[in-house]
Amino acid sequence: MTMSFQGGSVLDRFFTGLAEIVRNRDGAKLQDFLQIEPPLPDVYAQMVDELRQQYPNGSPKEADLLRRCEGLVPKSAGGSAWTAFPTFMKLYFSFLRDVNIENLLETYDMLKALLNQCVIALGDGQFGVVVLPTVLYLSKVLAKLAMGLDRRPELVAHLLRIEGGPDQDESTEKVTLVEKSANVVREAFIKCLTDRSGTPGVHGKPEGKRAGIYLMANLCLKLLFQCGKLRNAEQMFASITAQSPPLKHFPASQRVTYLYYLGRYLLSNNLFFPAQIALQAAYDQCHRQAINQKRLILTYLITCNIILGRFPSMALLQRPESEGLADKFVPVCQLITRGDYIAFREHLTTNSPTTEWFARKGILLPLRNRCEIFVWRSLARKVFIHGGFHADTQGQAQRGPPPFLYLSKLEAAVRWLQSRHSSQSSLSAVSPFGATPNASADKSRFGSQTVSIGKDPDFYSLDGPPAANGSPNISLISKYSDYLCPDGFFDAMGQWQSNPARTLVDGTPNPDYSQYEIDPYAYEPDQDTNGPSPLMREIESILASLLTQGLMRGYLTHRNPRLAIPGARLRGALPTGFPNIWQTIHARESEDTGVPGWVQPPSTMAGSVALGGGGRVVNLSGARPVGVQ
Amino acid sequence: MSNTQSQEKQAEASQQPQQQKATVLEEDDEFEDFPVDDWSENETEQAAGSAANGNNVHLWEESWDDDDAAEDFSKQLKEELKKVEASH
Repeated sequence: MTMSFQGGSVLDRFFTGLAEIVRNRDGAKLQDFLQIEPPLPDVYAQMVDELRQQYPNGSPKEADLLRRCEGLVPKSAGGSAWTAFPTFMKLYFSFLRDVNIENLLETYDMLKALLNQCVIALGDGQFGVVVLPTVLYLSKVLAKLAMGLDRRPELVAHLLRIEGGPDQDESTEKVTLVEKSANVVREAFIKCLTDRSGTPGVHGKPEGKRAGIYLMANLCLKLLFQCGKLRNAEQMFASITAQSPPLKHFPASQRVTYLYYLGRYLLSNNLFFPAQIALQAAYDQCHRQAINQKRLILTYLITCNIILGRFPSMALLQRPESEGLADKFVPVCQLITRGDYIAFREHLTTNSPTTEWFARKGILLPLRNRCEIFVWRSLARKVFIHGGFHADTQGQAQRGPPPFLYLSKLEAAVRWLQSRHSSQSSLSAVSPFGATPNASADKSRFGSQTVSIGKDPDFYSLDGPPAANGSPNISLISKYSDYLCPDGFFDAMGQWQSNPARTLVDGTPNPDYSQYEIDPYAYEPDQDTNGPSPLMREIESILASLLTQGLMRGYLTHRNPRLAIPGARLRGALPTGFPNIWQTIHARESEDTGVPGWVQPPSTMAGSVALGGGGRVVNLSGARPVGVQ
Repeated sequence: MSNTQSQEKQAEASQQPQQQKATVLEEDDEFEDFPVDDWSENETEQAAGSAANGNNVHLWEESWDDDDAAEDFSKQLKEELKKVEASH
């Protein structure tokens, strides 16, 4: 606060100072003047006293205050005065005069209105940029307040009761204070992005209001992550891609923060490869002493890498920012390597204490769902090592069969795992799937032999496939009594006929009435004991998935089920049949190294960019990979 | 790490008191604002990493397949597969 206070009323001198600031277009000084956050310097208390005396709330004098504020704006010859600014200043004085910070909710509403008006003032093409630092300052205070209220639901409970009262439409989605704040901040972001002065787009620089693009975007993203409305960020990223200057022209703190949120957004949209690029860049560009920020970045960067088949090295996990992360991630990596799919699932099962941290960070489901296939690969690989036919790798001119694995051995290994875990079940954590969720799957007669879920109550009555020649019997009638013998019905004339005796209103049901039974299973389980078991069929489909994803190489034979690994003579069966996961995914994904939402400087090498003209499609295939060391 | 390096680090750390809070266990999920707006490339993680370890910092393990036949799980699996073989 650099106001000098000598002689005259504080308010008079405040106005004089403001007029000069506006004349000089000194945005930083304006923000410094317009303090709102307690504890305020004493002069503000003096000014509040003067405001209450000269311009009491609700008095006709308030119009005079507005008129005084109008005097702050230079009169332009063209006439298009900056009318939003006096209105904002009047609101600012009213805020100082009337706010009761004991009432946080009321304070929130007043502050939001103040910020709203400031954002409108920001929209002015000529003067708007002067309030940019103030918009940022007010946004930050509002965000802090909203997030504070969000953590103390008892303070907003009465508001929810009023809004969610019986008159309220239950179908409309409730918008939290945090989301409301995000919406105001997004307005400011749009004003920054669409500044008409200077050069727009990828050839532009962070000048004018554009300097605020990533400051506002980062604040908005923080709020959207807090309220779990990530989908609302999609349009922001699209607008940035279309209209923002390259990210590299902005200060490091803004770059790192933006790349962190962008990476998390991509991760939550299952775009793991670009997410990994963005997060790696955030980590690389982060200030080396910013330990807390680096730890958060690493949490998501490690997650992406594991999902892409790369584990954190000990060197990485021993860094100060990794403190606590090794305990979380190393067991997951070890379980992937081991190949015990039941242990892997039990480690990451819902409600287990070990998973609470993963769930809080929002990485439980991606890790659990994306990495299980790696566990199956590890298991298949180990079974191949110990039970496969490895062929003769020495004699180069041999014409023997290629290396192969009888899938019955993998089936035996799965059954062994299942029995191993069901005997250990007394030790395993209680899960919503039942005491021994995955080990008991082998006892199911239908459906998956490797995944077991508690019976759906709707299907409790289904103990097996419908009997082929069932006739209407007592149990059928009692089961459908509400339909077959209701207490009344409408006849052909539309007249209600009551049926107190509960007779069969449509006569005896058709003998094959049971065909209307709900049958969730598309086929009857194979009764032929010589055929492959359902478990074998399931193992085949898991391996087929691995082959399709390129995480294993070879082919399956269906009759006499085998996995064959041809072309292994040169490199050997293991490297051929079980290629490196990261290298496989990297080779496939790095064809396109562009990260949606990350604006790169226009490439001077790629002619396609210049030729692209007004088009938005930019071919980046010739560009250097981003974020790759 | 040498003594001079750690002393330097300590000195630097005391200049940035906000970042000293090593509240590892009750860490906040919120991404904090940086205390400074901009910094040069040689203050970044990347520069620090390459200075410490040459240019090639080994952050990620690409090859993690477990070929240790002596490891417990592998050993048991091997025994189990032998039993299957014998029963056929």
